[in-house]
Amino acid sequence: MKRLSHIVILLLIVINCQAQNKNTNLVKDSNRVINLDEVTLITKQNVPQRRLVNFFKANNASTLEDILSRLPELSLTRRGAYGMDPAIRSFNGGQINVLVDGMRIHGACTDKMDPVTIYIEPINLETLELQTASNGFSSGSSIGGTINMKIAEPDYLNNKKVTGIISSGYQTAAKSFYESIRLNYATGKWAMRASATYRHNSNYRSGGGEKINFSQYEKINYSLSVKYLQGAYNFIRADVLMDDGWNIGYPALPMDVGYAGARIGSLSFVHENRQKHLAKFQLKGYANQVHHYMDDTHRPDVPMHMDMPGESKTIGLYSEAEIIINKKQSMMLRADASSTFLKASMTMYQPGQLPMYMLTWPDNKKNQFGLSSSWVLQKDSTTKWQLNVRIDFIRATLTTEEAKSQVGIFGFQHASKNNVLKNGSVQFTKKISSTIKANASIAYTERVPTASERYGFYLFNSNDGYDYIGNPQLQPEESLQAEISASYNPARNKVQLSLFYSRISHFISSITNNNVSTMTIGAHGVKTYNNIPHAFVSGLEASCFLKPFQKFDFVSTLRYTYAQDYKDEPLPGIAPLKNVSSIRYQPNKIFYQVETEMAAAQNRIRISSGEDETKPYTLWHVRLGLNSTLFQKNIEIQTGIENIFDKNYHEHLDWGNIARPGRNAYLQIKMMF
Amino acid sequence: MKKSFNVMLSLASFIILFFTSCSKNEIPESSPTDGLTKITEGYAPGAAAKVEVYTSVSVINTGYTNLYLAIYDSLSGNRVDNANIQLTPMMDMGSMQHSSPFENPASVNAVNHLFPCSVVFIMPSTAGNWTVSVTVLVNGKLGTFSFPVTVVDPVKSTLKSFTALNNGAKYFVALINPVKPHIGINDMEIAIYKKESMMSYPAENGFTILMEPEMPTMGHGSPNNVNPIGIGNGHYKGKVNFTMTGLWQVNLEFMMGSEVADDTQFFEIEF
Repeated sequence: MKRLSHIVILLLIVINCQAQNKNTNLVKDSNRVINLDEVTLITKQNVPQRRLVNFFKANNASTLEDILSRLPELSLTRRGAYGMDPAIRSFNGGQINVLVDGMRIHGACTDKMDPVTIYIEPINLETLELQTASNGFSSGSSIGGTINMKIAEPDYLNNKKVTGIISSGYQTAAKSFYESIRLNYATGKWAMRASATYRHNSNYRSGGGEKINFSQYEKINYSLSVKYLQGAYNFIRADVLMDDGWNIGYPALPMDVGYAGARIGSLSFVHENRQKHLAKFQLKGYANQVHHYMDDTHRPDVPMHMDMPGESKTIGLYSEAEIIINKKQSMMLRADASSTFLKASMTMYQPGQLPMYMLTWPDNKKNQFGLSSSWVLQKDSTTKWQLNVRIDFIRATLTTEEAKSQVGIFGFQHASKNNVLKNGSVQFTKKISSTIKANASIAYTERVPTASERYGFYLFNSNDGYDYIGNPQLQPEESLQAEISASYNPARNKVQLSLFYSRISHFISSITNNNVSTMTIGAHGVKTYNNIPHAFVSGLEASCFLKPFQKFDFVSTLRYTYAQDYKDEPLPGIAPLKNVSSIRYQPNKIFYQVETEMAAAQNRIRISSGEDETKPYTLWHVRLGLNSTLFQKNIEIQTGIENIFDKNYHEHLDWGNIARPGRNAYLQIKMMF
Repeated sequence: MKKSFNVMLSLASFIILFFTSCSKNEIPESSPTDGLTKITEGYAPGAAAKVEVYTSVSVINTGYTNLYLAIYDSLSGNRVDNANIQLTPMMDMGSMQHSSPFENPASVNAVNHLFPCSVVFIMPSTAGNWTVSVTVLVNGKLGTFSFPVTVVDPVKSTLKSFTALNNGAKYFVALINPVKPHIGINDMEIAIYKKESMMSYPAENGFTILMEPEMPTMGHGSPNNVNPIGIGNGHYKGKVNFTMTGLWQVNLEFMMGSEVADDTQFFEIEF
């Protein structure tokens, strides 16, 4: 009897998964979903997506940043070997949402050394959802879109049996070790998933053999998820995720990171019944905390020792419902509220004097409440409309007298701000033939300035050498975006092209402020954030997934972005034309893969933002994988050489033009049990 | 379903608890001398008055010192809130004596039962003995109470002096504010006195002051400062901004008309 019930549960899950996939496709047509989890991959995914995964996840030891960097929509600002700042179509920082399972979390470093992606390991995740602007605001007002990292759920596939995966790997360029373990256990209504990852990287060698000092890092990540089924349609899930990194080097910055750690916890209730109008209902409460300590004690020639600790705390609640109105219409509703507290300070020590202390992020809090809705109308078998709206009420305040007093130095007596953000978009999808699909959308979106842009206090930017001062009077950015995309999908092949254009009003930029003297020793001057009338960002992404022969896969992606301000000056931080292509041959249990990564030169630069021209480069990688069994366990061995020709190169978004790793051989062994 | 609802409910209440905090504002009963230190008390014979002397600091430093006098009828013990008070500070260096700048109470009426006044001690007690005489006129009766004061040099001097380039006169500049410097906009107040003789130090209102704070270790200044301008009685008030804690140097330039009297003085403020 018990066994029977397990089978029923199992069946239900499978049905749910399938149903979910269908529905996800319906609602989130233009989302990119990148599946990361091997097991669900096998059970849930169809072939083209699996190809995608293999492509995006170059090897099993890939960091989340490695995976993100291979998506054509994304570019990463690099300040060190780790801690790269993601941008969607060149929108970054406060212009995009980076969410963990729908939860807000804010890095604790004033200098953007800890984008929240560093606190998440691929092993923690089931999928990576990427939404561009036209529907990227459903879980938070944003003009650039959303990266949502969905935490993996425990599964019920094997009852009363511990299953798992152990991985171990080594890479030569940074003498890096990667060890991870993942365990799953289910018993009756309970299921648990636990994972742990350890990474240790030394200073890497760049192309040509030069060692890049201060590029090392070390980290540990743990996660635990517990799921409890309640009847056929409900479950409760608790997730805890902890990530600790030490001695993280940033060769492009004057300081490293001594410690960076995050604690993330959530509790969710999910009801799902595809037969009813309320197909899915989810309620999640969460809290997270990030601590970040910069460290200059390993650097030579430090004019003055300083401590720069930062802290972020967020609590929030969100609720989502999927409503199937009838066969042609469905709806998504979401309500969310969150409160984020930030504080960062700097203390400098001059022997014989009292410490010099100041707040770099004066204690501030952002309270947010938002409502969003998506309505999908499948008009007929070829035509689909989707309407998305969201409204956000956001209040930013300085929480202490100390903070207010400090911001008052610049004459800002009323630094608290209330904003109501309005977002809306219309998407139209037309299936022109059985193989051709076209999609068009327009969107109006808004975003509030970040804590740094509003309250930042002499935040040093080592790329342009200026101290930055926040401006509480900044207006929200407003963006109008249009996007068209078409896909041609014959048999097992797919070719896709997207074009986009965004015009951003009140674009947040910065101007040199000659009335204020620099604080950082050696800084060139002081800049204050300001709104400029407008700027625009446009570009394209193209991708193709071809299967010319049975055992061959060819995957290629291309992106190009063109951006300038109202004076026709290029915007900073725009990655050049880039293409990544790989061809894979898998005759049996072994696969062979050759990859090229090509970037054009970037000559459209903004010198006032510390940019210089970047040369083009081409890299070649080879990869080889073997699936086998050993002692009746599945074994996966991956090996390869990246940057075979030891090219010395850097990307346009790399601060300080620090050369990237040279030739890198890797070996990964993965055992499933 | 019910069970999970309970879980959600407890989660919600947890979050509500997280969001809210309690604060109690208790208003303490205050006495006029709360926060002040009594340095001495004694009688002013002839005026039938008892004089209590308070300061706002625990140690009296060279520089501008606020004194608060409480006067009582020595017979009835009642507070006296109306009195004419005259200070005379005196430094006895053995071979010579000199006075110092001072400010008598601004009014014959007490402020919150106290008579605020001040003395600018221009040297520490290591050079001799300071005495302050308080002559009180209460209900037509005159008496004097004298008390010794021990003055020490502070770590960071709050009193500067210079000989003016334009007229050769000697001036004393006393720092009054900021008393408790903090990061942000601070009130800046100084008082200037001219040394006319060993016994006469009148307030000087004729200066125009340019001020520029600077962090000597870092080599930077701060924005949005307001130069002190004269408000009478030799006092000059402005605003000084400190962008961080640590050692600050507030540079001052004294102009008389279009002539520079001095541009070498600065106060060090460390917090």
